Amino acid sequence: MTGKLTRRELLAGSAGLMAASCGNQTRPIVPSRVSIVKAPAYDQSVYDTVRRLVTEHVGDVRGKRILLKPNLVEFEPGSCINTNPILVHAAYEAFHGLGAAQVTIAEGPGHRRNTLDLADAAGYFRTVPGFEDKFVDLNLDEVTRVRPEQQFSRIKKLYLPNHVLGADLLVSMPKMKTHHWAGATLSMKNLFGTVPSGIYGWPKNVLHWAGIDESIADLHAAYPRQFAIVDGIVGMEGNGPIQGTPKHAGVLVAGTDPAAVDATCCRIMKIDPFQIQYLRLASGRPGTHITERNVEQIGETILSVATPFELIPQFQRMRLES
Amino acid sequence: MAGASIRESGGPSASPDPTMSVAVLKSKQNRDGGWPYVRGASWTEPTVYAVMALLAADEEQAAQRGLDWLRRRQLPDGGWPPQTGFDESNWVTALVALLPPERLGAKVHQGAIHWLMTTTGEESTAVFRLRCWLLGVSPSRPEPVAWPWVRGTAAWVVPTSLAVLALDKEDARRPSQAIRARIAEGRRFLMERMCLSGGWNHGSVRVYGVEGLPYPETTGVALAAIRGVRSPQTDRSIATAQRFLAECRSADALNWLRLGLLAHGQLPAGFTPPALAFRTLIETSMDMLVAETQQGREVLWGNRS
Repeated sequence: MTGKLTRRELLAGSAGLMAASCGNQTRPIVPSRVSIVKAPAYDQSVYDTVRRLVTEHVGDVRGKRILLKPNLVEFEPGSCINTNPILVHAAYEAFHGLGAAQVTIAEGPGHRRNTLDLADAAGYFRTVPGFEDKFVDLNLDEVTRVRPEQQFSRIKKLYLPNHVLGADLLVSMPKMKTHHWAGATLSMKNLFGTVPSGIYGWPKNVLHWAGIDESIADLHAAYPRQFAIVDGIVGMEGNGPIQGTPKHAGVLVAGTDPAAVDATCCRIMKIDPFQIQYLRLASGRPGTHITERNVEQIGETILSVATPFELIPQFQRMRLES
Repeated sequence: MAGASIRESGGPSASPDPTMSVAVLKSKQNRDGGWPYVRGASWTEPTVYAVMALLAADEEQAAQRGLDWLRRRQLPDGGWPPQTGFDESNWVTALVALLPPERLGAKVHQGAIHWLMTTTGEESTAVFRLRCWLLGVSPSRPEPVAWPWVRGTAAWVVPTSLAVLALDKEDARRPSQAIRARIAEGRRFLMERMCLSGGWNHGSVRVYGVEGLPYPETTGVALAAIRGVRSPQTDRSIATAQRFLAECRSADALNWLRLGLLAHGQLPAGFTPPALAFRTLIETSMDMLVAETQQGREVLWGNRS
């Protein structure tokens, strides 16, 4: 199956495309595959759904080191701020059951220093047996300086945790939420949690000064092997990512192209993905698509699950018109 | 794995027998003399707290090895990196400056004080202020000069609180007008970043008109830094800390809450923390420092008497 680049995508990724075209070769666009699955509640069916998603998108994981990266933000038990632990446990069980050599759960929250206490309050200790032995606090991990293939931000030195850099597959597992600075926080923005606060502080203010959208695009470029599962069963609308209100969308969205997954989530949330700057920046990279025609949708259609997430007044311009 | 509970590996829960805490710290000291957060490589922050706790417990040998590790890690600009893998000084320099200079070494200590005195949040730099002026977005009153987590970024509550604590201790030892001026600015920053209902979070009072909510751990550390500052705002934050004290389920936060309230003589008499897991070595060390402070040893702030 092939697709075409739109004029907007061409503009957004002109630099990358020019570099790619130096050899005077015209290559067909290979669309990114994204699954949309209805998931009405955090119940036992999530385990089967996630295993199916992993099998469909990732394939053989035998012998691989897998790192699951949920989004843990705040001490609000029962709220919709953090990725639900049932989803993370389902992913843990799926990868483990499919033969992965090692499955690690890891996170580096941006505001709160006591990560394990935060995970405890979010229900991870109750839901994931032996959680502490499976978990790595990325804020306190050992680090290596990296130079992303393509740098968008003004950050001078980017250090990232060795557990993430050493993984064969990084599985980004965010909550489907609006974000008062970036518009939406999904699998790409979730990568902020891989930037070690032990180095940069709480919050990771260096990323704000370097440019939030540009830093997200840098991180996307820094991790070449990713899989995303977005927790859209209950998301957050309004003044996300912390002080918004719960929004039941009843979906899981997954794929190996995080930009395509996030663009699909935006369409489900009735947000125009081309208004999300980090998606525009990332879309110039090979194998990264945000144009709808270049995303092969599997499972439910966007139309069948779309539900408008309330936007703060500053972001009304992002509303996707039908 | 990093982040695992030290309780499972023989560590104590709050508030344990001090002898047991000393044993945990000594058993977890790395061969290079430093300490990890839980296990693995040595970091500056847990090493400073372990050294402070062991010095208070008169455990000379282990503390000395920790001090040697710290001395070897000082960078040419006078500051410290958070871990060996990173090559820039940052906020942990304030922690090292809290150590007794006679134990750390006077010259090494002065390097730390120099780093603190020459470090500000980016928003207070002349270049940034000029840029704001040119863009016509200058604030009506200049931002307080406070401290960032890393240079080149904005000031925040925790690094400012720790820098104020370190400089206040230094001023008690060697009174200096320049140091007092920085302390006053740091405290002005903390008062301006206090949440409306009292207490502190990381430093955001409001976002898009929505009020920021305080955290227990940052409320504790900021209260410790404004020791001696009397105002209705301070009283509101003390009340917030006391409310957190009753609800809090984090050993780290409870340590800082107790220290913050002790700084103002407002820790409820007879308060006993619930039995919570110590999840990092910092929690073990800090718990020992709280106990020392309760016994009248002023380990975190300067003795001006």
